[in-house]
Amino acid sequence: MELIGFLIAFPLVIAVLLLFVRSDAARKYLVTIPAVIIGCASIALYVMYGSQGGSYFIFSSSIVDIICVIVSIAIGAVILIYGFKYKRILPIVLGALQLVASLIFDFAIGHKIDVSQGLYVDGLSLLMVLIIGIVGSGICVYALGYMRDFQEHEPDGAPDRRPIFFALMFLFLSAMYVIVLSNNMSWMFAGWEITTLCSFLLIGYTKTEEAINNAFRQINMNLLGGIAFLIALYVCSISFDTLSFKDFLEIGSSRPNIVILPVIALAIAGITKAAQMPFHTWLLGAMVAPTPTSALLHSSTMVKAGVFLLVKLAPIFVVCPIASALVILVGGFTFMFCSFMAISQTNAKRVLAYSTIANLGLITACAGVGTPEAVWAAMLLILFHAIAKSLLFLCVGTAEHHIGSRDIEDMDQLFQRMPKLSRFMMLGIMCMFIAPFGMLIAKWGALVALIDMHQGVLLILLAFGSAATFMFWAKWLGKLAGIAGTRENIEGNVSASEWASIGLMAALIALCCICLPLISIFMVDPYIISSYSNAGVAGGMVSSAFDGTVDADDLWLASIACVFAFIVMFAGLGRTKTKQVGVYLAGVSADNANRVFRDSMSGETMATSRNWYMTEAFNEDRLSWLGTIVCGILEVGFFIVGCVTLGIF
Amino acid sequence: MSIVYALIGTLVFAVLGPVIGCLLAGLDRKITARMQGRVGPPLLQPYYDVRKLFGKERVSVNTTESAYVVAALVFALLAGGIFFSGGNLLMCVFVITLSSLFFIVAAYSSCSPYSEIGAHRETLQVMSYEPMIVLMTVVFYQASGSFDVSNLFNISIPIIGCTWLAFFGLLFVLTIKLRKSPFDLSMSHHAHQEIVRGMTTEMSGPTLAKIEIMHWCETVLFLGWIGMFFIWLNPLSLVLAIIVAVLVYFLEIWIDNNFARTKWQVMLGSAWFIALVCGGLNVIVLMFV
Repeated sequence: MELIGFLIAFPLVIAVLLLFVRSDAARKYLVTIPAVIIGCASIALYVMYGSQGGSYFIFSSSIVDIICVIVSIAIGAVILIYGFKYKRILPIVLGALQLVASLIFDFAIGHKIDVSQGLYVDGLSLLMVLIIGIVGSGICVYALGYMRDFQEHEPDGAPDRRPIFFALMFLFLSAMYVIVLSNNMSWMFAGWEITTLCSFLLIGYTKTEEAINNAFRQINMNLLGGIAFLIALYVCSISFDTLSFKDFLEIGSSRPNIVILPVIALAIAGITKAAQMPFHTWLLGAMVAPTPTSALLHSSTMVKAGVFLLVKLAPIFVVCPIASALVILVGGFTFMFCSFMAISQTNAKRVLAYSTIANLGLITACAGVGTPEAVWAAMLLILFHAIAKSLLFLCVGTAEHHIGSRDIEDMDQLFQRMPKLSRFMMLGIMCMFIAPFGMLIAKWGALVALIDMHQGVLLILLAFGSAATFMFWAKWLGKLAGIAGTRENIEGNVSASEWASIGLMAALIALCCICLPLISIFMVDPYIISSYSNAGVAGGMVSSAFDGTVDADDLWLASIACVFAFIVMFAGLGRTKTKQVGVYLAGVSADNANRVFRDSMSGETMATSRNWYMTEAFNEDRLSWLGTIVCGILEVGFFIVGCVTLGIF
Repeated sequence: MSIVYALIGTLVFAVLGPVIGCLLAGLDRKITARMQGRVGPPLLQPYYDVRKLFGKERVSVNTTESAYVVAALVFALLAGGIFFSGGNLLMCVFVITLSSLFFIVAAYSSCSPYSEIGAHRETLQVMSYEPMIVLMTVVFYQASGSFDVSNLFNISIPIIGCTWLAFFGLLFVLTIKLRKSPFDLSMSHHAHQEIVRGMTTEMSGPTLAKIEIMHWCETVLFLGWIGMFFIWLNPLSLVLAIIVAVLVYFLEIWIDNNFARTKWQVMLGSAWFIALVCGGLNVIVLMFV
């Protein structure tokens, strides 16, 4: 338990120290060493408790309660200050509303309720701890080199606000630990709001007009989610007289009718944080921020907090059809629409953003289905998505600084210009969408779970969405793979910290893909067995012999296929010695390396080709509008239904 | 144990797949010639072609292409091995998709304008047939109770009885998967439909021979998918399955010779429509019946 305290407090201390460090050299040590320590401490926590189903710790502290109140006041104050500074009405209204509501809650209701078991660990929270501790701190290390480049690209005289940047990154990690390790829901809410505020400040980091606008969009949407969370807190404490998440899950899964409103409210909070439609625009807007921010938001923090909450609620969803239907439909539609929209994007970060939202949609849908098989799939999706997506963001960030663009069309022949980097990028892309790599195996689990639960509509959404996924990743992969003439190698001056983090993520992908059967047996199955054999009605859904959704033999076969694919990518490519010739240009080549040929007018023409974006068939605006309407109606409608049920039951 | 079977199956398929596929390709050329009023080449002509290709000098436009092609071939063999050893159908579908991806990347890697266009179109073809294939595996699972192909020998009636709708959908996308006209957008074996030969424009000699072998294996695998709809616990059903597969192959050749290439919009639209109607409806009906 002391280790949990350390994991929460240590990043906080580092964050405060980083606020006062202005020199690059000192910052290097103050980021790298703590990052390693946080990673090791996370692994240590896993080693200590990983073999147990779940451990709840007797810990309640009025000091922590007071800190939570101060945090909510501070958050409200910061939002109001920014709201007034930039004259935005909506954030002021929402911020004030949330501040007042949370103060009333804290002073009138919350303080009377004592949660004896304040902290806990279980399989899911340990998985999150590992992701935050290893992937999250890896990204912090990457930011060292990236932000130095970033500052150099800034105009002269631009203020150096990197101390705040790094402090926020570590604060983020700390808040994430609070979310995944607190059993006391009001502490969890404090962590939840800190992540909202941190991402607001990180998105607005550059202070350009676009950044400010997108930051406010983020805060508006997530304040709505925060208010939904507060509604759940109110109902929980008034109706059930508890703020313990564990108790809430037990009440919910044994008497689902009485928890419909709080579950729907929490689901909406999760959906906003996980950037599901119609709230997807905040995550798209977040890409104006420097790349490490995007990497952090997309992979290990923020959006993962949203799906973490939803997966936690899975034992209730499985017995509560109303809440389940909301989450499944929103997740399924988001998956399909966002996969379609990704096809028409040329901006690499935007493609990544849509793919993140789509995959979160899939996780959301799995959580909504809520059966042990579906949760198995959801947990593996969370793991593989975190690693692969952070690898991709880090690669795109580095490529952007060296080729001066984040447009996929400018990544022609990256395989020659940045041979190592492009291989890592290809690895990340392949891990995202193709079997036998982890994501697809997890998707396989999702498919099985959906068939067993008779989710016909969702299956159809999944089938079409997956096809679109193939399209947008394959064409990007193809762009990277191209080799022509002799392009100069420009990856010599990529900084060591960037290579270290990129290498770490790539190694993690290889490790997790190859050890997938072991991960299933030792990390995922125990959580499912423990969470479904304890909780009320949902208990008894699995026997203690649950051994994954996908057969172990098939997992090992996938693992072997992965090994072969890795060998081809990292040892096979570029080794063949054959006679080299130029490409065929249907005429006399003038400069074959650059695809220039002599045309019929005896002039010289360069053959050029662009990828397909099919903007007519997959129009972003139209699809976005459609998704927003469909999912928006679902959310409002189900919320009203939830309120009505509160009156009935 | 299934993993051992799958690996042994892959080795066996690596020998038998190309042999059967080669004969089918020869038959294709023979029948096509007869349909066009020609005599056509000998039955073993595809074999002679490939043997000759292996004898050619190794020439390529870059150093990576051949590695991608080898990967594509190996994964095609693995997919066949998984299927014919009675393994998991979904795994088989995933692995054959991986094989297509490596082939697509090989075509992209050459940076030739012609093979790039071919690669774009092949990507689109995969996107067109993928929903139907996924829904087919779902229907298979619903009807037979398992993703394992070997399980078919335990059921008392063939699954075609309740999956004929999805079977029709599979027939439709099979034309895309076999790269037959009207859906041979990425590379065509009809000289009159193509200016330069799409994806394989820059591939020659042994590399091209491997592509050819991969295509044979794919044909055998896809016809296996057709046949599996007619299998039940009676061992004689294997004969029925083979007869149906041969008839379907003849149908594909007939379609190939009677339709001109379409635009991609038509291909994508019709394949998705068929997937939604045939696949989607079949899935939902099986769910509630």
